[in-house]
Amino acid sequence: MKDRAARIPLIVMLMGLGSLAMLLPAIQAAILDDHRTMRAFFYGMILFGMLTGLVGLATAGAVPKNVARSQLLTLLAAFSILPLMFAVPFAEAIENTTYLNAWFEMISSFTTTGATLYDTAGRLSPSLHLWRATVGWMGGFLVWVMAVAIFAPMNLGGFEVRAVGGVGRGSAGFTQVGQGADPSERLARFTLKLFPIYAGLTVILWVGLVITGEVSYVALCHAMSILSTSGISPIDGVYYAGAGWLGEVLMFAFFIFALSRLTFSKALIGESERTGLRRDPEFRLAFFLIAGTTGLLVLRHFLGAVELGEESLIEALQAIWGTVFTVTSFLTTTGFESRYWEGATDWSGLQTPGLFLIGLALIGGGVATTAGGVKLLRVYALFRHGEREMERLLHPSSIGGGGKDARRIRRQGAYISWIFFMLFAISIAVVMVLLSLSGVQFETAMVLSVASLSTTGPLATVAAETPIAYSGLPDLAKFVLAAAMVLGRLETLAIIALFNPEIWRT
Amino acid sequence: MKVIICGAGQVGWQIARHLSGENNDVTVVDNNPELVRRATDTLDVQGIAGFASYPDVLDKAGARDADMIIAATHSDEVNMVTCQVAHSVFAIQRKIARLRSQSYQEAIYSDLYRRDHLPIDVVISPEKEVAEAALQRLAAPAAFDTESFFEGNAQLLGITIEDDCPVINTPLRQLTDLFSTLQAIVVGIRREGALFVPAANDQLFVGDDCYIFTETKDMTRTLEIFGKTQSKQERIVIVGGGNVGLGVARALEARTERVRVKMVEKNRDCAENAADMLDRTIVLNGDGLDSGLLEEAGIESADAVLVVTDDDKTNLLASVRSKEMGCPMAICLINDPTLVPLMGPLDIDAYINPRATTVSSILRHIRHGRVRGVYSIGDAEAEVIEAMVLGTSPIAGKKIKDIAFPEGTIIGGVSQGGKVVKPTGETRINEGDAIAIFAMTPDVPEVERLLQVSIDFF
Repeated sequence: MKDRAARIPLIVMLMGLGSLAMLLPAIQAAILDDHRTMRAFFYGMILFGMLTGLVGLATAGAVPKNVARSQLLTLLAAFSILPLMFAVPFAEAIENTTYLNAWFEMISSFTTTGATLYDTAGRLSPSLHLWRATVGWMGGFLVWVMAVAIFAPMNLGGFEVRAVGGVGRGSAGFTQVGQGADPSERLARFTLKLFPIYAGLTVILWVGLVITGEVSYVALCHAMSILSTSGISPIDGVYYAGAGWLGEVLMFAFFIFALSRLTFSKALIGESERTGLRRDPEFRLAFFLIAGTTGLLVLRHFLGAVELGEESLIEALQAIWGTVFTVTSFLTTTGFESRYWEGATDWSGLQTPGLFLIGLALIGGGVATTAGGVKLLRVYALFRHGEREMERLLHPSSIGGGGKDARRIRRQGAYISWIFFMLFAISIAVVMVLLSLSGVQFETAMVLSVASLSTTGPLATVAAETPIAYSGLPDLAKFVLAAAMVLGRLETLAIIALFNPEIWRT
Repeated sequence: MKVIICGAGQVGWQIARHLSGENNDVTVVDNNPELVRRATDTLDVQGIAGFASYPDVLDKAGARDADMIIAATHSDEVNMVTCQVAHSVFAIQRKIARLRSQSYQEAIYSDLYRRDHLPIDVVISPEKEVAEAALQRLAAPAAFDTESFFEGNAQLLGITIEDDCPVINTPLRQLTDLFSTLQAIVVGIRREGALFVPAANDQLFVGDDCYIFTETKDMTRTLEIFGKTQSKQERIVIVGGGNVGLGVARALEARTERVRVKMVEKNRDCAENAADMLDRTIVLNGDGLDSGLLEEAGIESADAVLVVTDDDKTNLLASVRSKEMGCPMAICLINDPTLVPLMGPLDIDAYINPRATTVSSILRHIRHGRVRGVYSIGDAEAEVIEAMVLGTSPIAGKKIKDIAFPEGTIIGGVSQGGKVVKPTGETRINEGDAIAIFAMTPDVPEVERLLQVSIDFF
C-alpha cells in the first residue's frame, strides 16, 4: 500500500491535498452560516477530489523516464495549473468576478506573493480570505519541501552557491554508493519531517496572536501569511490588527524563519564546518541589513528634524520599531507594514521614499525558506567576492583565507550568483517592458515587476509614490504578472535547468 | 647503541648524520630507495628500502636487537604504527616518533602515548621546534643564535663583536669586576673559525663570535654591554608558508602587541592552507625571489624578514635580496651547516639550523643522567647541556673549583630552586640543582660521566 502510494505522481498528490484543503474554508463558512460559500468549497472538494482520483488511477504505476525532469516539470505545473483548480470555488463563491481575476488571485496566493485584486474592504467574505491565506500557506510549504528535497540535490535554488558540482545537475556520482536515495523517497521523507514543524509553528503563532487579542480567524490568516511570507491579510495588513504592538512583536519573532533555513532545519552534511545560527552568513547578513537600514532611516530623521521636543521620545521609539518591523517584513518578502510605519515615515516631517523597500525585497530572505528575491546567500557571495577584489587591489597576489568553503563561495559561488543576479535583472527588465506594452505606466511597471518577481505583493501599495491597485491593471498585465510570480517563485535557474540538454537525454 | 631511523628525509637524515657521528650503529629505513641511497652514500649508516611500519622491513633493519627507534617519516600515522610494531613485535625499549599534527600533540591526549596504549616515549615535532627557534631569533634580533634554558629563565646568545663594542680588548676577568651585578658569562668564542672555551685572561676582539650565557632578565643589558641595541619589530615578512613559516606566523598573531605579518609562499595549495589557518596575516602567492612580489609584501618598510623555505639556496638569495631592497634584518633557515660561513659575506644577520634544534630535542633523550636539554652549537662542535644534578652524581655537594671538569667545558649557569645563579669557583652544586654546561664535543662523554650515577652508588 505504502509502496503504491509512493508511486502516485507528485502532481496528483498535490491536487489531492489541494482539494482536501478546500474543506477548511467550507467548515468555516458553515460555522459562519455562509452556506453559499460553504457549498462552493464543499462541492469544489468533491469535484476535484473525484478528478484527482481519476487522474490518479490513470497515472498509477507510471514510471517517469527522468525523475529529476519530471519533478521540475511538476513544480512548474504545480505553480501554473493548481491555481486553476483553486480558483474555481473561489470564483463560484464570489459570484461577481471573472474567472481570470480569481485565477490571478490564486496564483498570487500560491506563489506567496499576496497581491490582491480585491482590495476594497468587505469585498470578500471571511471564508474567502481564509482560502487565500490557506493557498499561500500551502504554497509556502511546497517551497520548503521542494527546496530541500528537489533543489538541494540538483544544486539549484540557492544551493548552487555552495555546491561543488555543476548547477542543475547534482553532485557527481560516488560509484561505491550503489544506490542514491530515490527522489520521490526524499520528497516523502522531507515532507514528513518538515510538516510538523511548519504546522506547529503556525499554530504557535496563531495561538499567540489570539492571546494578544486578535480575532481568531484573522490571527490564523496572519499566522499562515507570516510563515509562508505571503503577506495575505483579511484586514488589509496589521495596521488594523487587534493584537496591537505585542502582536507585532510576536510576528516579528516569526520572520526569523524566512531569514535562514538553519532556524528550522539542520545544515546539510558537509555544507559548512561552522554551524550555529549566529555564525550563519545569511542570518548575519540579514541582521546587518536590518540594523543598517533602520539606523540610516532613523538617523536621517534626527539629522533632518533638528527641533526635537521632549514629547517626541515615545514617537521616536515608535518610529524605530515601525522601521525595524517593516524593514524585516519586506526583507523576508512578506510585505506587512507596521502600524507605526506611517509614523516612522513622517514623524519628523520628512517623507520616506518606499524605494528602499524595493531594494530589500529584491535581496529577499534565506535560501530554502519561503522568502523570495535574490536570496541572502547569493548577496553574501557577491559581497564576499567584492570584498576580496578590494583586497586584491592592495595585494594583487594575495590569497584569501577562510577555508575551502569560503573560497568556493567567493569564486564559483559569486560567479553563479552573478549569473543569477543578471538573470533576475533581465527578468525585471523583460517584465517591465511587457507591462509597459500592456499600457502600464513606467514607474508602476517597475514596482509591479519587482513585487511579482520577488513575491512581495504588498510592495505595490507601499513602495510607490501613490499606492498602485492591482485591480486597475489590464488583463494582459495580469497574465504577465502571474507568469512573473511563477518565475520569481521557482527561480530562473530552475526553469533554465529544464532546458539543460542533459535533463532531456535518457 | 643500535638505532633505527625510519624516514630518510630532511629530519631523518639530520638525525642519522648526528647519531652516526657519535659512533652509534645507525640503520635508515625509507620507502624511497633514492633517499636511502643518499643517506648511505654520505653517512656511515646502513640503509633498507621499504615501508617503515612493516614488521618484516623492521626485522631486516635489525629491530630485534635495536635499542632505539626514531620514526620520522612525513606521515604521523605511519610513525605511530611503526612505534607500535617496534614495541609489540620487537620490544624495542626507546621509541621516538615525529608527530606534526596539532591534534596529536595536544596535551589532553598525552595519555594516549602511555606504554599500554600507544607506546611512544617521546614525541618530537621538528617544524614546531624550528618555529620556536625562529621566534627566539626574532626576539633577540641582535644575536645570531639563541636558545633558552632553565625553562626560559636563561638564554644562550650568540653575538658577533663589532667595532663599536665597548668591551673589546678587555680580559674577561675584568668584565666580571666591572659588571658585578650582571648575570652573564662568556662560554665560548669562535675566532677565525675555531671554537674554544675562553679562560679568564682571554680578551674579545673585533670579528669574534661569542656565545654568552645570561639570565633572561639581563638579556637586554647584556646585549647593550656587547654593543647591540634591541629594536622593536612590528612588520615582519615571512618567506615560505610551510609548517615552519605557518607556526611562526601563528605565534606572532597570538602575541598581544600587534605585529603585521606578511607571508610569501610559492605553492598555491600551501598558500591557501596558510591563509586558512591565519587570521590577520596577509598571504601572498608567488616566488620569494621575485622583487616585485617582495615589494608587494612591503619589504622596504619591514623590520625583519624571515626566510624559511625548504631550499637553502633560495633562502640565502631571498635574504640577500631583501637586505638589498632595504630590509634591516634577515633571518634565514639553513639546513646545510657548511653554508654557515657564508652568512657574514652575504650580510645575513642570523640563521636557524633546523638540525641543531631537532637533534637537540632527540639528544636530550639519548643522553644519560637527568639531562633536560641539549643544544648543539655550530657544526656539532660543542653542546650546551642542561641537566639536573642527582644526589649520586660525583659533582653533587662540591664547589665548582673542586670539580674535575675537563679542559673544554665551562658552567654557564646554575639554577638553584628556580633562581639563576652566576657560577663562580665558590658556588656549591647541590643535589636537585640544574646546571648548564658548555662542552666541546670531545669532552661530552666526560661531562656525561660526571652527571651520571657514580659507581659507589651500587
